[in-house]
Amino acid sequence: MDSIIPVIARWPKDVFRRLYQYFNSIKYASQNPLYLGDKVLWSVSCTALVLGMGTFLFLAVFIVREAYPALAQGEGLIAFLFLDSWSPLATPASFGILHAWIGSLSIAFICLSISIPIAFGLAVFIAEIAPDLMRTVLQPCLDLLAGIPAVVYGFVGYVTLVPWCERIFGMATGESIVVAAIMLAVMALPFITSTSVEAFRAVPRDLKEAVLAQGVTRWYLIRRVVVAKASSGMFAGVALGLARAIGETLAVTMLAGNSIAVPRSLLSRGQPIPSLIITELGEAGVGSPKYHALFASGLLLMLVIVILNSLVWKLRKRFVYEG
Amino acid sequence: MKAEPLHYLTNKHGEVRIDRFVTVAAWSFGALGLCLPLSIVGFLFARGVEVISWEFLTTAPGGLPLGVAGGIMPAIQGSLELVGLGLLFALPLGIGGAIYLSEYCTSQALLKVTRFVTECLAGIPAIVYGLFGYSFLVVAINLKASLLAGSITLGFVMFPLVLIGSHESMRSVNWVYRESALALGVSRSYMVRRVVLKQTWPSIMAITLLAAGHAVGSASPVLYTASIIYSRGGLDLNAPVMTLPTHLYYLVSEAISFEHAYGTALVLTMGLLLLNFTGRYLRRLSGKYGV
Repeated sequence: MDSIIPVIARWPKDVFRRLYQYFNSIKYASQNPLYLGDKVLWSVSCTALVLGMGTFLFLAVFIVREAYPALAQGEGLIAFLFLDSWSPLATPASFGILHAWIGSLSIAFICLSISIPIAFGLAVFIAEIAPDLMRTVLQPCLDLLAGIPAVVYGFVGYVTLVPWCERIFGMATGESIVVAAIMLAVMALPFITSTSVEAFRAVPRDLKEAVLAQGVTRWYLIRRVVVAKASSGMFAGVALGLARAIGETLAVTMLAGNSIAVPRSLLSRGQPIPSLIITELGEAGVGSPKYHALFASGLLLMLVIVILNSLVWKLRKRFVYEG
Repeated sequence: MKAEPLHYLTNKHGEVRIDRFVTVAAWSFGALGLCLPLSIVGFLFARGVEVISWEFLTTAPGGLPLGVAGGIMPAIQGSLELVGLGLLFALPLGIGGAIYLSEYCTSQALLKVTRFVTECLAGIPAIVYGLFGYSFLVVAINLKASLLAGSITLGFVMFPLVLIGSHESMRSVNWVYRESALALGVSRSYMVRRVVLKQTWPSIMAITLLAAGHAVGSASPVLYTASIIYSRGGLDLNAPVMTLPTHLYYLVSEAISFEHAYGTALVLTMGLLLLNFTGRYLRRLSGKYGV
């Protein structure tokens, strides 16, 4: 009997504490040490995301703001893209990037027309024709090609392709649009190839075997089934390769010759947009018209990438849902 | 499924002939894909290997004009410092953002928008980041061309790659594991730590290495934000540094020393290949354990 008294005496206090804890844990689940870590992780990861994306939002706003004066003055966008030439030393200095975007466009076009056939051929070989041994050797080789940095490509092109070009075409300097495009084609090759190989691999196996069982040749299978099924993946690969070719900077600067004249032929020197930016950035005073023009060309590059990326996004969605 | 070999070779039917031709063509594309990378690396190796010595790797450039003698030690050091510091910015933000997207984010719209924006950011040419880094970090907030400004710019380059890569690997963790853990009554953070991160750390490491390799090799973001023709090395946040790609660029564009350019290119390429192959090995390793 005597042992129960202290228990009863303690009872209300205990119960109240328990009840208090219970309601508290429901009301403030986060105060429970078990859930505290959860709250911390939530807030830390949310902060990281907001901070990261916020920085890039700021970057975009900054670039648009700095690009605006170049696009707003005088004839505006039309003059910037088509009418003016890049002549910073003329008395009314004018900053149009006609030569740069023509250079970029022609380099990208030649680059793709070289690398697309090779990349698709290689992708067909890796995905459909190559024996396992060849495949296990080729895949690291493509990784190797993708891993070599751009400056090294520029350097290799500078010591091999440029002298060859001088000898073959008898030019004074071998640096030209076509040399830059050839080197860029080598650089874009692994990206287009690996994206297309992925797309080819995603074609269901039973579909292929059902077609082969009809007695058709392998080429027929590739042509009518595999490529048809994987076409959106292949386009996505081309868009990725194009994005890479347009944004490439130093390799192109070393190979294309960096001349501000509008290129007349494939063998003439050119200066694509990234080369223009990297060449002129060091001499552009902050707030000068040249500075704003460089930002406007940076904005143009960004817009092209966003457009290409939304294309890839759309294609990939189709490619994933169709299986 | 396959025709008899002899029948296949002697068949004069058009379709089979074309198929034979295509097979030969595909093999030659394969040979090209094999020869191209090997010949580039072999070329660099053949020209560069005699330049590389212990002295080349451990001394600062010297001679007149600068770079014809000496070595590339400060450039190696500078590249590593830049990327290491850049990872300090990119890694927490990237992995944190990926955890939020894959574990906490319930809104599909937010997920889609963020992924789209990040993929655009990953595709934006490095020169645009260089442009921003130069005009904002170097000039506007007056960091000067320094290690700090360069590493923040490289952080911009690496952040989207880290975010996309770790989000993809976290997304591929089987939901059954997550739900079994949560059904046992543990908190989400415990589940993230012991289930998600435990399964994905090799591929997050792999992504980090690949992003770092990409950043080491890119010269355009650091050309105006961090690099200088000569430095003596050492770790100073406010001082500009030499980097391997910009050193190579100076050597070639000013036609200083092609011999040393071969050596620098070989060191840079070999270092990057080591990074890339370690990354890919780790990624395959993580693939083996079901992630």
